[in-house]
Amino acid sequence: MAKVPLSEIGSSRDAFLDAATFAKNRAAMQQKDADLAAKRAKVALGWGASYLERVHQKGKLSARERVDALKDPGTPVREVGTFVNHGRLFGKLESPAAGVVTAFVRIENRWTIVIANDNTVASGSWWPRTPEKIERAQEMALRLRLPVVYLVDCSGLYLPEQSASFPGLTGAGHIFKKNAELSHAGVPQIAGVFGDCIAGGGYMPIISDRVYMTESAYMVIAGAALIKGAKSMHLSSLDIGGPEVHVHQSGCADVRVPDDRTALAMIRAEIARLPSSGADYHRHGAEAAMPHHPASEIEGLFPTDYRMTYAAEEVIARLVDRSLFWELFADRGREMIVGVGRVDGLYMGFVANRQGVIDDPEHKNAQKPAGILYREGIAKVAAFSRACNADGIPIVWLQDISGFDIGVEAERLGLLGYGSSLIYANSTNTVPMFTVLLRKASGAGYYAMAGLPYEPVVQLSTPIARQSVMEGRTLAIAAFNTKLDDDFEIASKDPRERAEIEKGMRDTEARIEGDMDPYKSAAQMDTDEIVSLGELRGWLETLAQCAYQASGYRTLKNPRIWSLHDLAALSEPRG
Amino acid sequence: MFQKILIGNRGEVAVRIARAARERKIATVGVCSTADQGAAWLAQMDEVVCIGGPSPRESYLRLDRIVQAAVQTGATAIHPGWGFLAENARFAALCEQHGITFIGPSPRVMEMMGLKSPAKAAMRAAGLPVIPGSNGLLADVDEALTVAARVGYPLILKADAGGGGRGMRLCTDDASLRSGYASATAEATAAFGNGALYCESYLTGGRHIEVQVLGDRFGRAVHLFERECSVQRNHQKLIEESPSPALTQDQREELGARAATAAASIGYAGAGTVEFLRAADGRIFFMEMNTRLQVEHPVTELVTGLDIVGEQFAIAANRPLRLSQMDVRVRGHAIECRINAEDPSADFKPSPGVVSRMDLPLTLGSGTVRVDTHVAAGYEVPPYYDSLIAKVIVHAESRPAAIETMLRTLRAAKVEGVATTIPLHLAVLESPEFARGEYDTRSIPGWKPTKVRV
Repeated sequence: MAKVPLSEIGSSRDAFLDAATFAKNRAAMQQKDADLAAKRAKVALGWGASYLERVHQKGKLSARERVDALKDPGTPVREVGTFVNHGRLFGKLESPAAGVVTAFVRIENRWTIVIANDNTVASGSWWPRTPEKIERAQEMALRLRLPVVYLVDCSGLYLPEQSASFPGLTGAGHIFKKNAELSHAGVPQIAGVFGDCIAGGGYMPIISDRVYMTESAYMVIAGAALIKGAKSMHLSSLDIGGPEVHVHQSGCADVRVPDDRTALAMIRAEIARLPSSGADYHRHGAEAAMPHHPASEIEGLFPTDYRMTYAAEEVIARLVDRSLFWELFADRGREMIVGVGRVDGLYMGFVANRQGVIDDPEHKNAQKPAGILYREGIAKVAAFSRACNADGIPIVWLQDISGFDIGVEAERLGLLGYGSSLIYANSTNTVPMFTVLLRKASGAGYYAMAGLPYEPVVQLSTPIARQSVMEGRTLAIAAFNTKLDDDFEIASKDPRERAEIEKGMRDTEARIEGDMDPYKSAAQMDTDEIVSLGELRGWLETLAQCAYQASGYRTLKNPRIWSLHDLAALSEPRG
Repeated sequence: MFQKILIGNRGEVAVRIARAARERKIATVGVCSTADQGAAWLAQMDEVVCIGGPSPRESYLRLDRIVQAAVQTGATAIHPGWGFLAENARFAALCEQHGITFIGPSPRVMEMMGLKSPAKAAMRAAGLPVIPGSNGLLADVDEALTVAARVGYPLILKADAGGGGRGMRLCTDDASLRSGYASATAEATAAFGNGALYCESYLTGGRHIEVQVLGDRFGRAVHLFERECSVQRNHQKLIEESPSPALTQDQREELGARAATAAASIGYAGAGTVEFLRAADGRIFFMEMNTRLQVEHPVTELVTGLDIVGEQFAIAANRPLRLSQMDVRVRGHAIECRINAEDPSADFKPSPGVVSRMDLPLTLGSGTVRVDTHVAAGYEVPPYYDSLIAKVIVHAESRPAAIETMLRTLRAAKVEGVATTIPLHLAVLESPEFARGEYDTRSIPGWKPTKVRV
């Protein structure tokens, strides 16, 4: 039968988790959420109230105020790269959000990528990593063919740090290459120019299809300060490159408007002229619906100790519409769960790591830990990934994985090969993929589950994500291997030596633990954004709508002819 | 039109749906629990699938098994009846997902009208008067106090996720509102995991008047006029009639038109009922919408001459409504009595057992008598389900003639082996208040509740 046979998944919370533990888990998670909220609030302040005041005094809005005015009322702004440069100092200066706001913003019922220079941080100039952050957002737009809106208010590079932002492969110039790639791919780009746009800032809007300039905006290759004779002729940068010049004489801009709000209103009207979203066409007879088991419960499902387990099915149940899911290959590779559900009425593929223990298929009556990849699990995920790609079903990778199986059997069975086959599939997939680091994101497991190196369109981390090559304890064991016995216990009987080794191992663990801090990861752009578990379902709704918005650029089979049906037919039990 | 329909219900409603299907040469699949297996009424189905154990949770509420039963018998539509999964949006979505047409409104509309707050908001937007109160959910107790200042006391606080009276508090002044708010939120959070509250004016002495609507999948809706259902005990209806003695012709046409407009505005497809409360001072307010076929639908069928279940089939098969509003007329008067296997003199204690005799005469006029039942002599009433054993519905040229016909029929009825509510029906129908059409939900006309024997 070429139907998508979704069935009920998950149970009522009180059927598997007592109220006290749930409350305890939730309370711990909410503390992390509060911390996340506080950190976000701090980033949103830019360089502080006085800088915001300055912007207002010029009759202008801040970057975040512009985004707010641009978006459809009541819709969420899904920001990415909020924590780029978090905790990093340049001399004494901070670079909150790397001086630019990049976000998925809903405008006239269409998702767009908005890139807005933060004029409360060094006049919107570009820090180290600002170009990479902008390019990452442009890449998301390119992959999903989402219109891009540039809200340009950028005085160029932050010059004292230019060696880290100007020259390289991903330096500022690459932003304009991505502009070109977007245009070449037919992705609409619109620019609003709101302030001093010098050098790089001057180049930013030009490749966009429509450029709006406010009366206080100018675009120049170089500012008046570098032009000989400008002083004696009393020429300002506005004289040289304001709307008078670029809208009317040079043709480098299109429309002049009196102020920020008018520009933003006109940009909204521009977006309204674009094709509407194809998402509703691809809902195939269903309407958007919330999970039957509430998404709000996810926050209470995760134990406070990362080594303890939870039921992965219960997480999936709270992410898919009506808690209906079609699991494939349910009885093979049980360490993995693969299947299809609807998010906002739109089909998405899910890959998740089962936790706890499973039966060992190679050894009757034996069990082994889940949260690890074995041969059947790898094979099943690879086959699923290829089929979703062939069918045009966007894939959500929910990571909570310790790594691959290791040891004699793992090597004999060829997990290196199976793993590489999966990597190959993910590397060559063109269907949109979204990765969520729920908890453990370790080693080759992080790679196999389409971690950032495999270029998912977006990677999200939760506040409890643990992203590293291995867990601290494993690394300590590896580093101190010569001092340990067969069971990884310290071999020496001498109390002083034992104490030394114990301290050494603890220090090693602590260092890795520090590396695993998701905020550190986000600061380095090793993950795209940190979101709370309570926000996850809402994020997936946005990503689903984005994945089905643009038409004509990617494979999108109707469900009747999915490759998944072949796989399901071949794995049905006989008789 | 569907060639085979699965009936996802039991008892009287299953028999009713099967009759409509048979009249249209549609094959039927019935489902049953182990407790219902072998029941005589199952013979009305062409095929029967046993779906599990006696308690509803093991059988009639098993979404997966009912869908499975349809898939394996080749049924192409499911009629959910009333109760059980009839208003379960997840079930409706699951049916559609498996290519089986759910005979009812879309899951989204069903869900929206199933929650008090969104339903009220949607109906207000559609122009229906709603009970004065908060605009959606209350943010905090201060908002509740503001609402109270606007609409006055008494006020009732209700839990949005509520049911069974929990999370409700009657408030008569600011002080009781403050304390009531705190305790209602706490109770609702504990009972439903959701402490959100809204509030409404508390109206007493109201009449429950509901309008039957039919909507198609092309945005059209008509009304089939109203039913009066104010003879109730603990929110359970006992006697229903159409038309309502409380409304003039102009009032009923206006009420019906507004209900139909509201149904069309939300894209309601199928048969539905918009419930109103008519306050003692004559003001009428929207209460809730039932997104299913109702027990008392025969009352409307008899005064309009329409087959509502048949209309449901057609609508589900994507047929535009063939009726225009002008085609719908009320002729005469109809009354229904729900005969339950309960002992009204023992506080309506359920009376399970074998029905040794089931004689309900059909010919004692002047009006016509219709009996909807799944029960024949020899039937054992199972203890797991509701206690309805038969509906007696009469239709006559006038209200007094209808009352007279019902009295004659019930007085001559012989239902033995179980206690029934017939004595209560007789007492109500004989009462002067009922004869005058003057009654409301506060008390059962002609009947004084007796104390429960300890």
